[in-house]
Amino acid sequence: MSNLREYFQTNWAAMTLHDWIGLILTVGAFLAMVWIYSYVFNPKNKERLESQRNIPFDEENTDSEK
Amino acid sequence: MEETKYNFDVVRWFAIMAVVYLVVGTLVGTYIASELAWPFLNFDIAEITFGRLRPLHTNAVIFAFGGCTLFATGFYSVQRTGSTSLWSPKMAWFTFWGWNLIIVAAVITLPLGITQSKEYAELEWPIDLAIAVVWLSFGLNFIMTVAKRKTSHIYVSNWFFMGMFVMITYLHVVNSLAIPVSLFKSYSVFSGVQDAMIQWWWGHNAVGFYLTAGFLGIMYYFVPKQANRPVFSYRLSVLHFWALMFGYVWLGAHHLQYTALPDWTGSLGAAVSLAMIIPSWGGAINGMMTLSGAWDKLREDYILRFMIMSLAFYAMSTFEGPVMSSKTVNALSHYTDWTVGHVHSGALGWVAMVSAGALYHLVEKLWNTKMYSAKLVNVHFWTSTIGTVVYITAMWVSGIMQGLMWRDYDEFGTLTYTFAESVAAMHPYYAMRAIGGMIFWLGGAIMLFNVIMTIRQASAQRSSSAAAATA
Repeated sequence: MSNLREYFQTNWAAMTLHDWIGLILTVGAFLAMVWIYSYVFNPKNKERLESQRNIPFDEENTDSEK
Repeated sequence: MEETKYNFDVVRWFAIMAVVYLVVGTLVGTYIASELAWPFLNFDIAEITFGRLRPLHTNAVIFAFGGCTLFATGFYSVQRTGSTSLWSPKMAWFTFWGWNLIIVAAVITLPLGITQSKEYAELEWPIDLAIAVVWLSFGLNFIMTVAKRKTSHIYVSNWFFMGMFVMITYLHVVNSLAIPVSLFKSYSVFSGVQDAMIQWWWGHNAVGFYLTAGFLGIMYYFVPKQANRPVFSYRLSVLHFWALMFGYVWLGAHHLQYTALPDWTGSLGAAVSLAMIIPSWGGAINGMMTLSGAWDKLREDYILRFMIMSLAFYAMSTFEGPVMSSKTVNALSHYTDWTVGHVHSGALGWVAMVSAGALYHLVEKLWNTKMYSAKLVNVHFWTSTIGTVVYITAMWVSGIMQGLMWRDYDEFGTLTYTFAESVAAMHPYYAMRAIGGMIFWLGGAIMLFNVIMTIRQASAQRSSSAAAATA
């Protein structure tokens, strides 16, 4: 356990502005991915998302060219 | 639904030029592969040596062939999925002429040795500026066409194209930052390990966002259209898109394992590379499963065969890449021909084959006809597949052999083989690679012939219909 604590030990006082920007972006990207996974796999959103599958076939009757 | 007029003239020209550049780019590649097997082919002419022609080959296949394919398919599918015409047809023509002039500039400057010496970004600063302007014209036109769409939802293929546009703009501008010292010479603003990091941040993301995201945009529109079935899972495609966008930017450091780069950056690159197997395989399965319940289509539809085979190569190379990025495997594979084989399994197997499928589909739609010869499409499919397999197999064997020879040492700690001995051992595999390239090139030449004959056939049909109508 102490090894684990040692492994994750961080000197917060030594963090530079770039470190903080990087940390916030990384954690932000991770949280955004979690949100996307939960949104996509939420059964409530299934029909709304899957109905978009047919878009490439909706324009068949407008198949005219310039 | 209200009838819509599309702008397809510029798409037709981009499609034709894509096929022309496929033949030219792979011809140069085959020639330089032959030079490595039979060095007399240099003929002691500096302009045609491997070092000068190799960047010409990569620029021709990635930016000339790949670029024209992306512009043709992007401008086509954004109109079709939005039921609208292009925002600015004139700007699309500007993109066409601008991009082709840049290719001409590359053909002139690279054999003359005018280069920034940055891999996949060799062109000098005036051409880099031109690339930025022309690329922005494509992106602006694409986004504005999406904005004026007549559908409420933006179809997933357009998301992939826009993701590619945003990221490649950012990557190209930052990686190309340089101080010009003359019209044809500049020096990067980065130096040392930062230069290496920026180079591979660009290098891997050129693969990730240009050769992957852009061509996935092609896949998500053209596979369902050619199969005449909607994509297997739209939800999976949404996840595929966002996971790719968030994940890919971290991978570049895996090109710099065991270098002066901090160790943790290479580890991070390798860890995220492994994580990327999930969305990549999700996307490949999504494309393949689109045929679920209709696999019999592959028996007769040779165009669809290209697309499904390309997805198999996509799955294979997106598994191989993360494996090679791990430090244990990288210690053997780095700097060897294994990397060259990996790149070509993606470039020939995935990019070129999905492009060929999409371009055949486009030619039939744009000229409102069937291919001149379906048999020749099938011959092209088999030459592409066999050529790719011969190429990558040769490079796997050669690369692993190189790695093993370089690291082998005797009981005194002395290297067992000299570098020259390892080069000599590669000869049969270099010859085999050149033959694989020739087979692949032959397929491209057959495609060009078939496309020309199809267009001529369509023109003849149109003329005879017009004559019958006026009679």
